[in-house]
Amino acid sequence: MNFEINWALVAPLLVIQAILMIIALFDLTKTEKTNGPKWMWVLIVIFINTLGPILYFIIGKKHS
Amino acid sequence: MELLEVKSLTKSFGKHVAVNDLSFSIEEGRCVALLGANGAGKTTTLEMLASLQKPTNGSISFLSVEKRDYREYIGYLPQYPVFFPWMNAIEYLVLMGELSGLSKSKAVARANELLELLGIADAKKRKIGGYSGGMKQRLGIAQALIHEPKLLMLDEPVSALDPVGRREILELMKLLKETTTILFSTHILHDAEEVCDDVIMIHKGELAVTASLSELRRKHQEDVIIISADENLDAWAGSIENWNIVSKVISTNNKIEIYVKNVAEARNLLLVEITEKKLPITKFTVGQTSLEDLFMEVVGR
Amino acid sequence: MKKWFVLHRKEWLEMTRNYKVIWIPLIFVLFGLMQPITSYYMPEILKNASNLPEGSVIEIPMPTSGEVLAQTLGQFNQMGILVLVLAFMGIVSSERKSGMLKAILVKPVRFSSYITAKWMSAVLLSVGAIFLGMLASWYYTVLLIGDYPFMNIVKGTSLYLIWIMFLLTFTVFLSTFLKSSGFVAAFTLLLSILLTLLTSLFEKYMEWSPAQLTNAAASLFISGKLEGPLMLPLITTVILTALILYLAATRKSSL
Ligand SMILES: Nc1ncnc2c1ncn2[C@@H]1O[C@H](COP(=O)(O)OP(=O)(O)OP(=O)(O)O)[C@@H](O)[C@H]1O
Ligand SMILES: [Mg+2]
Repeated sequence: MNFEINWALVAPLLVIQAILMIIALFDLTKTEKTNGPKWMWVLIVIFINTLGPILYFIIGKKHS
Repeated sequence: MELLEVKSLTKSFGKHVAVNDLSFSIEEGRCVALLGANGAGKTTTLEMLASLQKPTNGSISFLSVEKRDYREYIGYLPQYPVFFPWMNAIEYLVLMGELSGLSKSKAVARANELLELLGIADAKKRKIGGYSGGMKQRLGIAQALIHEPKLLMLDEPVSALDPVGRREILELMKLLKETTTILFSTHILHDAEEVCDDVIMIHKGELAVTASLSELRRKHQEDVIIISADENLDAWAGSIENWNIVSKVISTNNKIEIYVKNVAEARNLLLVEITEKKLPITKFTVGQTSLEDLFMEVVGR
Repeated sequence: MKKWFVLHRKEWLEMTRNYKVIWIPLIFVLFGLMQPITSYYMPEILKNASNLPEGSVIEIPMPTSGEVLAQTLGQFNQMGILVLVLAFMGIVSSERKSGMLKAILVKPVRFSSYITAKWMSAVLLSVGAIFLGMLASWYYTVLLIGDYPFMNIVKGTSLYLIWIMFLLTFTVFLSTFLKSSGFVAAFTLLLSILLTLLTSLFEKYMEWSPAQLTNAAASLFISGKLEGPLMLPLITTVILTALILYLAATRKSSL
């Protein structure tokens, strides 16, 4: 990349992604059971940005 | 006064008739046991009474009024109570109290009172998702009682509990029946005998027996004297069989069950006989048959 | 009425506990921010991606503010609907499955209160999330691309939200009687895709279609005025929504 990114502009995006990830991880530490192994969800939430936490919230949480 | 009257209540699922032409009534202030084996139709009956299922046929009147919404007067504990696992006990009870028509402050007060009564006050701030089966059963009873219902319906309140929990809930029911009319289902006759006044036995969805417990006892219960001994007493057992005070003798191993018509007299005669013949008895018990036999007769048909 | 508020409050408490009140709005804000940013950087990204010979000039016209906002709306109409439908597919069916529906209806509560309290919570959260998303998009568009009248955002988004309410109501309706939440989502998405597709293919015959509201909102964003059919789709959508909500709130037999 040889063009200037205005970081002040992009920062909110990164902040939102970070919040989503933190909430998902926080929820993961509190819930006992998830659909599928927990470590897998931790990896998904950390490594797939935005989509990972969303996927976790929609299909990862077990609704009892 | 008659609290609830059911006339030819029927429920079919497709071709299968789960409850068939059931008629009975519940007097105010009584504790009534709905007895039946697995699949007899207890849950289906109770759910119809709680307006959770629509009867295929028949009518239910509450305080002599037919077809009214009487849900505010009943408390119901399902066979498998469920909760919002993300709530704590206080939040849940307050929600249920408010939905029953209590004000928020009244609901909070009642919730705390009931958690205390049911012995789960220590866990009231914990998420219900982490409760044990016994705790959930207690919370289920608490939510049924939150608005002080006129009629409390409990579907197998003690089946899922350990002996200690069972004891506690039965004691609680004895306490509650002083103030509330109770209808509870069970497949264990012993529980019914212990707490209830009236019995409704159903078998394969049909009414088998409905009567008060004392009436049943009078009709179906016999006095019995049980003698255990060191040696086989079959010969002697045979000799007393034709006493006119004795109705039946069952002799197994070293134990003799003597069904008698007049306990007091029979006891004296037997004691005299035992001393005279120097019978080597180890135990002499005077008692009554349980209603188990009647239950088995009804259920085993 | 008091019980309705008790039920409604319970929905909000639940949506707070499972973080829906946070993540749903955040996702719409994210989508909203993404569109103006990508439009702004697009020429440079393209310049860097393509191996053009030194000195060649590429002319990519910068989209107008209105166009960027319409693109945001398009994004909401795909990913946004997907998120909302998946988030609310189990709104009734999961409680029926777990037995909670019976636990509530054994109390003196009307089934219609139960349904409409849930419906209202889903609608309010979605409306809030979409407004926040559009607001974020507007702010970045003004910042990066050019000024744009705020009132147009309010008008266009409001129009679009009627279409969203229609889809949410349909989700709640299906959720009252379908056993599986998956089917609820699948059928709602199918309806949304079908209506959108048919509306663009047979414009003549589909003037009444609720999906027209999206087109109306987009044209309002781009040209600043309302073009194409408006009253007819508005009326049919409102009537259909009311009808579906009525059906959802009265079918108690599916206990
Ligand atoms: N929703 C249903 N659909 C079809 N059949 C049903 C349904 N609910 C109950 N039944 C049938 O009705 C009969 C009575 O069921 P019910 O649950 O009332 O029995 P129960 O007396 O409560 O038994 P248990 O002691 O096992 O709880 C059973 O044969 C059962 O299979
Ligand atoms: Mg049962």
